[in-house]
Amino acid sequence: MTTRIAAILLPLLLLAGWEGYCRWSGIPALVLPPPSAVGAALWSGLASGRLLPHLAVTAAEMALGLGIGCLVGFVAGVALAEVAGLRRLLYPYVIASQVVPKLALAPLFILWFGFGMTSTVAITALICFFPLLENTLTGLDRVDPAKRELFRMLRAGRWRTLTRLKIPSGLPVILAGLRVAVVLALVGAVVGEFIGGRQGLGASIIAAQGMMDTPLMFALFAVITALGMLVYQATLLIERWLLSRQAKG
Amino acid sequence: MPTDPPAFLSFENVRFDYSGAAIVDGVDWAVGRGAIHCLLGRSGCGKTTLLKLAAGLFTPATGRVRLDGAAVCGPGDAVGFVFQAPTLLEWLTVLDNVLLPVTLHRRATADDRARALDLLELVGLAGLADRGPRALSGGQQSRVALARALIADPALLLLDEPFAALDALTREELQEDLLRLCAQRGTTALFVTHDIAEAVYLGDRVAVMADGQLRHSLSIDLPRPRPRDLRYDPRFNALCRELRHAMDGATGLRRAEAAE
Repeated sequence: MTTRIAAILLPLLLLAGWEGYCRWSGIPALVLPPPSAVGAALWSGLASGRLLPHLAVTAAEMALGLGIGCLVGFVAGVALAEVAGLRRLLYPYVIASQVVPKLALAPLFILWFGFGMTSTVAITALICFFPLLENTLTGLDRVDPAKRELFRMLRAGRWRTLTRLKIPSGLPVILAGLRVAVVLALVGAVVGEFIGGRQGLGASIIAAQGMMDTPLMFALFAVITALGMLVYQATLLIERWLLSRQAKG
Repeated sequence: MPTDPPAFLSFENVRFDYSGAAIVDGVDWAVGRGAIHCLLGRSGCGKTTLLKLAAGLFTPATGRVRLDGAAVCGPGDAVGFVFQAPTLLEWLTVLDNVLLPVTLHRRATADDRARALDLLELVGLAGLADRGPRALSGGQQSRVALARALIADPALLLLDEPFAALDALTREELQEDLLRLCAQRGTTALFVTHDIAEAVYLGDRVAVMADGQLRHSLSIDLPRPRPRDLRYDPRFNALCRELRHAMDGATGLRRAEAAE
């Protein structure tokens, strides 16, 4: 009970402190706007519907990038886990592609895909690719040897061993990779828009900066945070649902 | 070596090496149809390897394993294997675990499901079919593993210390259930254990293994079916003592060889 009260009080206290500091210190709103101004900017953006298309664009980029990156990462992870030769051959390149800061590739992507959604989706997908690949590899590798022997004894072929043993037993690890990818996807989408976006929450932040509209920038941070938390919680729900379905059979 | 009736399972001078060392070193053995034989030995004597050779999981370096006259060259339909650990798939229900040997190759029919439920009842798990394996005790998990090994109605059952991790009472119950199931279905069984009493209670014949070789064998002339109280019979104890001496002798021989 006390923690619940504290959970409600803490943000209120922080907001009140922030508001009070802005009022009494005389700090210009351009540097640090009071939460009331941020709230007003947020409300006018949402009520007028100006923010919604940007939210939709960022959410779409995030979803597309996440979907493509995770799918390709999963399939590549399965291929590299199943074919040892392929893994020895390609893994160094995979590592190299990940060591390159992907945002440094953004100018190149803009050259290839143009300004706008495509290049942001490409960056997001590239960022999401690796956690899924890595966790799929680890998950499929970490199968109990006794279970492998059981499947050998039951004359299960390669495909059956993969779908009936390796993927189900690696699923918790694979889903942990998905959770990491979800967080990175939002970063990818927003920062991708910083560089090459015309629309979207990231592009709006750059625009607001240009207009020196700091309250709007804060309002956009709030929207991005809310979007991230929503998607993260949704991922947790999907994860829990998949694993409980698995536990029940 | 009883060779008069054609053996159902036979090892003919079987040898298996692992990184240069002989794990199984020239084993000759035959198990008649419907018989239960036990391989008794300390950890690391090669008894599990011998069992996996019989299963076709390993291929002998020299010699041959025959099942019903044909050379074994890979895991087959006619063989059920019960591993040391129950090795159940946690993401499947008890019923689906029992059906796994079927569903890996084709869709399970209503008939398969009925057979699996019958087997679960026979091993005393009626009513637990929809549970997950994590909700079961160790003994119950071993019972599921036994039911899974029997679902394809194998002619030969290979068991690798399946009850070793269980408490003494549960172990005895499972031994009794195993004998009952094998007798009902006429299943031939080769049972690996390090527990002398278990070997005597289950086996028609017990072979003592040490250093990859069969050093001693003993016919167990006790009545079948074997009542629970048989374990306290003087004849039972005498057989246990004889096997214990044989095991000590086998180890003694090893020490003598080492000293040479």
